[in-house]
Amino acid sequence: MYSLILFLVLLSLGYFIGQIAERRHYRSILEREERLNSLPAIASRHPPTEPHYHQALVTGSTVVSVDYFKRFLAALRNLFGGRVTSYESLLDRARRESLLRMKQQAKALGAAMVFNVKYETASISKGRGKTIGSVEILAYGTALIPPRVR
Amino acid sequence: MKYRNPRIPEGINVSDSHPLKELLILAGGALLLLVLLSWLLGQFGGRLARLLPFEKEAAMAPVSLLRSDAGSDLQVYLDRLGDRLGEQMDLPDGMLIHFHVNGNETFNAFATLGGNILLYRGLLERLPHENALAMLLAHEMAHIAHRDPIAGIGQGLAIQGLIGLLLGDPNLAVLGSAGIYTQLHYTREMERSADAAALNAVHDLYGHIGGAEDLFRVIRAQREYSGDSEMPAIFSSHPLDAQRLEAIAELAQERGWTTTGEATPLPLEFGRWMAEATARATDAAGGDEPEPGEATSPSYLPPHPHPG
Repeated sequence: MYSLILFLVLLSLGYFIGQIAERRHYRSILEREERLNSLPAIASRHPPTEPHYHQALVTGSTVVSVDYFKRFLAALRNLFGGRVTSYESLLDRARRESLLRMKQQAKALGAAMVFNVKYETASISKGRGKTIGSVEILAYGTALIPPRVR
Repeated sequence: MKYRNPRIPEGINVSDSHPLKELLILAGGALLLLVLLSWLLGQFGGRLARLLPFEKEAAMAPVSLLRSDAGSDLQVYLDRLGDRLGEQMDLPDGMLIHFHVNGNETFNAFATLGGNILLYRGLLERLPHENALAMLLAHEMAHIAHRDPIAGIGQGLAIQGLIGLLLGDPNLAVLGSAGIYTQLHYTREMERSADAAALNAVHDLYGHIGGAEDLFRVIRAQREYSGDSEMPAIFSSHPLDAQRLEAIAELAQERGWTTTGEATPLPLEFGRWMAEATARATDAAGGDEPEPGEATSPSYLPPHPHPG
């Protein structure tokens, strides 16, 4: 019975704290996306040839882990099948956060845009997926830095 | 060429479903499924286990537990009382009951495989008269007559098999409680029918059921004394003490039994027998016997290791 109470406490803690953190994170993401929208991230592999841009590798990486509530919900989902909606917002946040970090780096280099942008995902819970459940999302691309006007 | 990132509308990569709603639907469905399956498998496992011949069950008895600290007088007295109750209960042929007295102070008594009944001195010495003792013996004998110890094992195996199969994921371990509580539901049913059968036997033996309910009063008093509050009914393997007392009153009314009557006192030597059993247990504990605490809760026992 005590384990049941502990479970319910963890579940509600996970839910409420997770919800607050998520709402706060989305606010921050939207605000920064707006700010960095002037620096486009382009998937194309063919950058403009004129002017002669300097190039630099820029990366942005985020590691996310699930909270107790989301993990329980996803485990339940595994019984019945279907979309694991509890992970969707988590991964959406991680992708966008990675892209923002990449853009931030590009901006610090004075880049005008980032080309050949790609995502890479790595599970870092290797073999302990049932208990840890963390992923890294890496966004990377080539920052194009305009030549200095003399 | 002008490069720019369009503003993508929100909510494309994220489903618009409320997590709590999803939790309710999924957890509700999983619980329902588990309870239903546990119930079915419990029925199946219990029935299957009861098909095992009693003689085969005897071979599975936990031998290490069956040491008795009772002196020969106490043993004869218990066996004789058991025989008299057995006659009232119509035990099947070949179903032999063996009483074992453990001299340590654990407040407990239970029936286990092979017709073996373990009585602990801690419980025996608190019984006020023979009628309460008869109620206790008859209750445990009824478990054996109903084949509850083996059925409990069958149900336990079936339900735990199901839980292991469905819930390999440790994140879902908490759902396993649903199966365990379903199993407790079976256990409570067994307790209730053992109570009824025991009451019947005590009535037929003494002509009234006066004093039988004192067994449950003793159990309740012990619970209050040790500071254990009763678990809510759903978490408990036994019906609540108050419910058991009520059920006794109801059954007595239904069958028109006399509820009052003079209780037969315990033999005068009963106190001395208890002291002897205690002494034997202490001697044995000095040797290479297991600690008293260890002996009281072996994991392979059927789910009756509770008072009454």
